[in-house]
Amino acid sequence: MVYCFYKFILKMFHCPEEEEVVLKKKPRLGFFKYSCCAGCEFQFIYFQKYIIETLNNFEFVFCKMVTSGGTPEGPFDIALVEGTVTESWQADELKKIRERSTYLFAIGSCAINGGIPAIKSIHPELEVEKRVYHDLSAIHSIRPSAIDAYVHVDGFIMGCPPGERDLYEALTSVLSGKKPDFLEYSVCIECKLQGNICLLVAHNMPCMGPVTNAGCGALCPSYNRGCYSCWGPMRQANALALAKKFRSMGVSSEDIIRKFTLFGSVTTEFRKTAEFYED
Amino acid sequence: MKINIDYIARVEGEGAVKLDIEDGTLKDLKLNIWEPPRFFEGFLCNRSYDEVPDIVARICGICPVSHMTTAIRALEKALGFTPSRDSITLRRVMALSQIVSSHLVHLYMLALPDYHRLCSILDMFSRFESEIKRLNRMKEVVNKVTALFGGRPLHPVSMVVGGFTSLPPRDKIEKIVGELENIKDDAKETLKMVSALPFPDFTYNTEYVAISSPAHYAINGGIIVSQNGIRMEEDEYYSIFEEDEISYSNAKRTVIKGKGSFMVGALARLNLKFNMLHRDAKKAAEEIGFKVPDYNPFHNNLAQAIEIVHGISECRELLEGVHFKKPEIVIKVREGEGIAITEAPRGLLCHHYVLNRRGVVERANIVTPTAHNFLGLEENLKRLVQQYIHEDKEEIALKCEMLVRAYDPCFSCSVH
Repeated sequence: MVYCFYKFILKMFHCPEEEEVVLKKKPRLGFFKYSCCAGCEFQFIYFQKYIIETLNNFEFVFCKMVTSGGTPEGPFDIALVEGTVTESWQADELKKIRERSTYLFAIGSCAINGGIPAIKSIHPELEVEKRVYHDLSAIHSIRPSAIDAYVHVDGFIMGCPPGERDLYEALTSVLSGKKPDFLEYSVCIECKLQGNICLLVAHNMPCMGPVTNAGCGALCPSYNRGCYSCWGPMRQANALALAKKFRSMGVSSEDIIRKFTLFGSVTTEFRKTAEFYED
Repeated sequence: MKINIDYIARVEGEGAVKLDIEDGTLKDLKLNIWEPPRFFEGFLCNRSYDEVPDIVARICGICPVSHMTTAIRALEKALGFTPSRDSITLRRVMALSQIVSSHLVHLYMLALPDYHRLCSILDMFSRFESEIKRLNRMKEVVNKVTALFGGRPLHPVSMVVGGFTSLPPRDKIEKIVGELENIKDDAKETLKMVSALPFPDFTYNTEYVAISSPAHYAINGGIIVSQNGIRMEEDEYYSIFEEDEISYSNAKRTVIKGKGSFMVGALARLNLKFNMLHRDAKKAAEEIGFKVPDYNPFHNNLAQAIEIVHGISECRELLEGVHFKKPEIVIKVREGEGIAITEAPRGLLCHHYVLNRRGVVERANIVTPTAHNFLGLEENLKRLVQQYIHEDKEEIALKCEMLVRAYDPCFSCSVH
């Protein structure tokens, strides 16, 4: 599929067939996992319909779930990073990866907005850690954060798990040397396209769709439940306005805080909103 | 001679095996699971009961359905809610589809390259084209089953405390029944392929633990049993099992009190309840000459292949001719406590929650299959190294990695 797409581009711009030789030199790919469920890597190695094309078109320099051997030293044409940064060695390694990579993409909510592991950041660290381990002397966790807190990121393959459309867009962009075109609107747009009745307006259900980035195809509303923002906040979303709407619908302050600290608790958009209802 | 496998490839998550051989004897061996902790049990406190399934799904990218189902069952027990028959059937379908999907990826992509002395599935394309096409066909169908009822194959959205938020129309279910029928032969071929692999000759009889039910091949609940006489309700879990922190590992380790290690997972399930398998799976297992009890942990891969045949046939049967009623979920929030045990693809999974009167989590505990298998795997690694002690360094390292992969550990789950 990726190959066909590439051929199509060549044809469109009347490039001679010899240009295809370029494809023979596969882009060098690195996949790095930090603190997360490894679902992104799983989604990536099992890239549904395009698995053979994906695996065939890249040189896997480092991807532990796929291949033994390999080196994290690079250099990489494309580095994909999943997971929240929760230990200092991850931040150190991340900076090195950045230096050795042409493109660095964050993949999945953990790497992009802190995801579920960042719920920890809304409580005092020690309080949370003590609930899990009696002996914390061998535990070296730092405050969870998204990867762009440490390095410049060239693109965000959003979702939890990452959306196939965005993953496809990122990979084909690297193959064809163009800037990836990611979706920059809310779940509401997709929900309208699906022809769903609005859960927020018609059924009084607190739905996070208006402030959540699109990409899932409005999955939750299509399955008769409110969006819980697993894609994280849409850029510059007016999250506080939605929170106030929830409050007027009778949702408690505690529940509003929970909704805005499930995914994206370390993002400015959601953090500000949660803080408004704290105390 | 020191062997350090710092970052074991082709497993889920991050772990290492470190061993030291002196004068032909093994001095020390440690399974160091260095996957960073995310503190799920810590931040689950103060979250509302209805958020818990979506949160715990993110413990694992391979078995989210298991974590969701186990949490949902534990929370329903805490809230005194009895799920409908339809919900129970659908949860079984979801679990079966996920077990098949997890086993497929593990067998073809993670374990298989070892037996052909290759680094990865990438090296297999030219020689094993038909096998990879077979994997694709099967994986696509089982993912479709999970997605049809759950919304998506990873981190499904429709499974909530109380049941399912939405159900697919009958014609879509019928279509998937047909597709499941079409991959039954692929499942048998997979089993044949796996049975022909050169498994290392290594046997050790340990205590096998699984959940059991007189009605079917138990997955989402039953009594906990072992071949050495354990027989108890899931609520009594803590009376027999004990979880401990280990200085060299972020994952905790669970043992049977006063006894020690045991094994959970596909091989344990077959050893304990082979007779409850779907007739297609029993027949296929007999055809390749598989007999229980089987004490070779490498044969866990074989057991997984048998469960693939079972899962596809049972899923198909469960979905054939059923008519699900439109769900209506009414939950009365109350104070309570609940423990649930299920069979995740990798074995026993335990979730335990204490809720306050507003339905907010006060305490949470999660014990995963890999924590259950931790000590047994470490002990078997020691025995395996002893058996191959005169081989060269690379060979010993490869054998260790192969055994780790045969257990199909999930380090992300085990640390969580």
